[in-house]
Amino acid sequence: MPKTLLTLLVLTATALGLAACGGDDDGDALVVYSGRNQDLVGDLLERYQKDTGSKLEIRYGDSADLAATLLEEGDNSPADVFLSQDAGALGALEAEDRLQALPQSELGKVKPRFRSHTGHWVGLTGRSRVIAYDKRELKESDLPRSVFDVPKPEWKGRVGWAPTNPSFESFVTAMRKLKGEDVARKWLEDMIANDVKTYTNNIAIRDAIANGEIDIGLINHYYVAEAVAEEGPDYPVGVFFPPNRDLGSLINVSGVAILSSSEKAAQARKFIDYLLSRPGQEYFADVTKEYPLASGVQPDPALEPFDKIQAPKIDLADLAGLQDTVKLLQETGAL
Amino acid sequence: MAVLPLVYLVIVVAGAPETARDAIWSRDAFELMLRSVGLAAAVTATTIAIAVPLAWLTIRTDLPGRRVWAVLCALPLVIPSYIGAYLMVSALGPSGLAQDVLGVDELPSIYGFTGAWLVLSAFTFPYVLLPVQAVLRSVDPQLEEAARGLGRTPRQVFTSVVLPQLAPAIGAGGLLVALYVLSDFGAVSILRFDSFTRVIYTNYRSSFDRESAAALACLLVAVTLVVLWLEGRTRRARAYHRIAPGAQRRAVLVPLGRWRGAALAFTGGVVLVALVLPVGVLGYWATKSVAGEVEWDTVASAAGHSLLGAALAAAVAAAAALPVALLVARHRSRPSTLLERLSFAGHALPGIVVALALVFLGTRAWPVLYQTLAMLVAAYAILFLPQAIGAIRAALLQIDPHVEEAARSLGRSPLAVLRTITAPLARSGVLAGAALVFLTAVKELPATLLLAPIGFETLATEIWRLTSASFYERGAVPSLVLLAVSAVPLATLTLRGHSEP
Amino acid sequence: MSAIRAIAVHKRFGDCRAVDGVTLDVAEGDVCALLGPSGCGKTTMLRLLAGFERPDSGCLMVGGEIIAGGKTFVAPEKRRIGMVFQDYALFPHMTVAANIRYALGRRAERAGERVREVLELVGLSELGERHPNELSGGQQQRVALARALAGTPKVVLLDEPFSGLDAGLRARVRQEVRQILLAAGVTALFVTHDQEEALSLADHVAVMRDGRIEQVGTPEEVYGRPASRWVAEFLGEADVLPGTVSEGWVECELARVPAEGVGAGEAEVLVRPESVALSIGPAAGGRTQVEGVVVEREFFGHDQLVHVELPSGRRLRSRSLSYPVWHPGDRVRVQLDGPVNVFTAGRS
Repeated sequence: MPKTLLTLLVLTATALGLAACGGDDDGDALVVYSGRNQDLVGDLLERYQKDTGSKLEIRYGDSADLAATLLEEGDNSPADVFLSQDAGALGALEAEDRLQALPQSELGKVKPRFRSHTGHWVGLTGRSRVIAYDKRELKESDLPRSVFDVPKPEWKGRVGWAPTNPSFESFVTAMRKLKGEDVARKWLEDMIANDVKTYTNNIAIRDAIANGEIDIGLINHYYVAEAVAEEGPDYPVGVFFPPNRDLGSLINVSGVAILSSSEKAAQARKFIDYLLSRPGQEYFADVTKEYPLASGVQPDPALEPFDKIQAPKIDLADLAGLQDTVKLLQETGAL
Repeated sequence: MAVLPLVYLVIVVAGAPETARDAIWSRDAFELMLRSVGLAAAVTATTIAIAVPLAWLTIRTDLPGRRVWAVLCALPLVIPSYIGAYLMVSALGPSGLAQDVLGVDELPSIYGFTGAWLVLSAFTFPYVLLPVQAVLRSVDPQLEEAARGLGRTPRQVFTSVVLPQLAPAIGAGGLLVALYVLSDFGAVSILRFDSFTRVIYTNYRSSFDRESAAALACLLVAVTLVVLWLEGRTRRARAYHRIAPGAQRRAVLVPLGRWRGAALAFTGGVVLVALVLPVGVLGYWATKSVAGEVEWDTVASAAGHSLLGAALAAAVAAAAALPVALLVARHRSRPSTLLERLSFAGHALPGIVVALALVFLGTRAWPVLYQTLAMLVAAYAILFLPQAIGAIRAALLQIDPHVEEAARSLGRSPLAVLRTITAPLARSGVLAGAALVFLTAVKELPATLLLAPIGFETLATEIWRLTSASFYERGAVPSLVLLAVSAVPLATLTLRGHSEP
Repeated sequence: MSAIRAIAVHKRFGDCRAVDGVTLDVAEGDVCALLGPSGCGKTTMLRLLAGFERPDSGCLMVGGEIIAGGKTFVAPEKRRIGMVFQDYALFPHMTVAANIRYALGRRAERAGERVREVLELVGLSELGERHPNELSGGQQQRVALARALAGTPKVVLLDEPFSGLDAGLRARVRQEVRQILLAAGVTALFVTHDQEEALSLADHVAVMRDGRIEQVGTPEEVYGRPASRWVAEFLGEADVLPGTVSEGWVECELARVPAEGVGAGEAEVLVRPESVALSIGPAAGGRTQVEGVVVEREFFGHDQLVHVELPSGRRLRSRSLSYPVWHPGDRVRVQLDGPVNVFTAGRS
């Protein structure tokens, strides 16, 4: 046994030594912390490296975890660029002064409401909340005009939601911020009283509508677009964007920023330029079915045109205060 | 090393004492802490009730196929609790497999306490099983024979002689279970049990409020110390080694006789719930996913990384735990006890807290090592050191200290005695400790995501990649591979332990 | 020169004075027994010598060198002291030969030869490849001794070496061990609570009580001339008769005998059973005699122990050969036929 243990220890030391030496080989590579899943952006980042010959080192993780990591790393962070799933994580880094200001040449490509007021981060793609519905059973005119109509008796037992989903939670946060705590609480209580069906995620809701289990569901727009792309235009689920700046069509963005500790700002800006360029934005339109925010790239033609969506006005960085939302969800019994 | 996360917490809390105080004194925090402690107590009791009989059946009786059972019973440990919880939801939850199969519209809800209790019990009982098995292998059968000779029935022998001998191992294992439950986030969040870790996570994840999170984590450490104190009371300075002269003989297997059927049913039942059902569901999902979708070379390289990281962690943790366990088992004093207690803190803290602590300290103290394999292995070792300490200490208590003294008087230095006498005699404990660390490290996620070298994808990060953006079903193949690669070393260890005297 | 020397050694554990000022000399080549009831501190004394405990004060020397005392503390592995534990403490994961070779260190030359030598010395040449769990208790005991002797230590310490053996085996193993120790020519100090073991095996016996040495001497000295009533009673069977000392003589129920060095006044006369003779009819030599009644008889084969009641109602035991056969109720003449010990009354 001691021999086995000794061998293992020697092995460890060797492996660790090698690892320590091998760590800083690629001094010229740009280090990207990506809060967006490899399945969503991996191909795009590959394409960037191939197209430009630049090297990327990518650490994937949860956006919030990576933001917390960047906060802890502080000035010693090895990261140059942070790619975030939502605006909240970027806002948190901005508030702690961890981001570099971006030049107007980049910021200017995106509408002011989809970027940082102080110019420290810029949105890449937009995604909208929608009411998904069963096209076989319902016409658009049958649908509730507002999420506040969903808890009405005619929808009893016909609605699906996913309270553990971060996008849903952002939506509730927005409701609290725009309409007040009491309205949000009452809406949640009414939904539950109206026998809303709980699902684990957006895809499950979409499939439940397709299977005829429920008639409408509160999800993000691209889940349906993905299914339509795969199954064809006869896919039985449609999306509806409630009008009049209703919360039901809330738009959140994914975005990107350069860390203040980065010494490769020029390289990092080249990368962001690429993400905002036509090929970058087209990738998002094609693959993730999100709304491209720059370069005049058109979204997937199956989607509602972006400027037709009457989204509510809210400072996206505000959607970070999730803790009270989770508490509210638990108090009302949604969680 | 193991105290580093605490250093970090203290640094952060000291930076913002008022925020920290508010966070701790909220009624919410207190209530949730009570809920978490309640869950931990229930799960710990259940795992002990399952694991002790299982250990005895698989080590000391003529249970048919006991070696295979021994391996199968330890395997649930490699199922990450979040996967386990999801399997539970999809099997027994609303519109789940069970509803389909049984054709009923509604089953009793598995959300909340019941679900969390079931899932955590099913996937953590090996924490108790492994150390108890290790002690059962080395406990002196003469004591049992003596008790039988004194007219006690086998059952009385078990409760009056064997059980007290097992107490340190049960205590150590139960402690790991309790701390695991306190620190778990995956299972409780999926099963919607509102626990203390939820507050910590939401502080980090949605409010980026690290001062509050650190203060709450400190509270968790305080509760941990109370749990440790309770566990310490179960093993007040007692001698567990045999005091009779003469060397120890090998145990004779107890014939089960007419109880064989019941024993098989019990063992089989546990394996069915904790292993066969989850694997079955995973297999069902795996066949559902299109074969072409599985990126086999990615899975293979991830498996290699998982094995490497976990094996190194097991070796480092076992090597580091041996001196600590020795100190605690042989020289019980206030400082040594404190050292041991503090080393358990890493285990009670949610993975994200320890990972962020190492991020904080790593970037400042050892920037060269930051996000290298060395850092990752150190993180694993810190997180899981208590598992190794517990198992090794339990085994050490079985060794007659006279044997070590004899070696000293034969001219060997303390270090040489450790190497030639103590370590070999504690081998079953050392191996059990290493096995526990391996099995836990191989599925570790939060620290791996933040601290592994870039591109060092493991099976756990692979499962995370495949499931976080869409269905859990997509993680079925790497989950099965994770089980398979863990089963091999586990089987080797278990079988080797069986064949040794 | 003393092989072992202890000077005013003290050791406390909490409130308990385990060793309370022990001074002891063991001559080279001597086999010395440290005899006392359990809890008297004799095992602590052994552990102090072996180096497993540190003395609080006092000095311990082996072979003329200080091993503990003042600032000096020699680590156990540097003392060259062989130790045989009560439970033998054999290494269960090693063969008998490996257990013994362990004592020789890794660099030892001719290790194999030495292992054979000691195995032969203890008469276990055939069993070198066995594991300890495959040996009988007596064999394990001899392996433990062989292991302790293998490194040619200056001194061997044995802690209750025969307590794990059954009675029949014990007497035989005892003599074997004595032969082995003599053949090895090693100084040995062994701890026992069994007076028969101490008297039969040792060249010298140190009687220990409550952390102190009560008396040191040859077995004959400590048995025949015990320093105190306590030593006398601990070392063997003895009955006490009250007496009065005047002018160098003590007067008791049974006889008037010389009592040198005992002050005048109340005294206790200790009578060992073998000094009490029973007979029928008038005694020879006109010695003092009294009449008693047999109340009980224990028969041991080679001898018997007869309990008699004296006219005063006191009871006395008499050990004699197994003949004549006495029966309870027999009236006998009781007379003193051997040495007695006289102590001033009230001192134990």
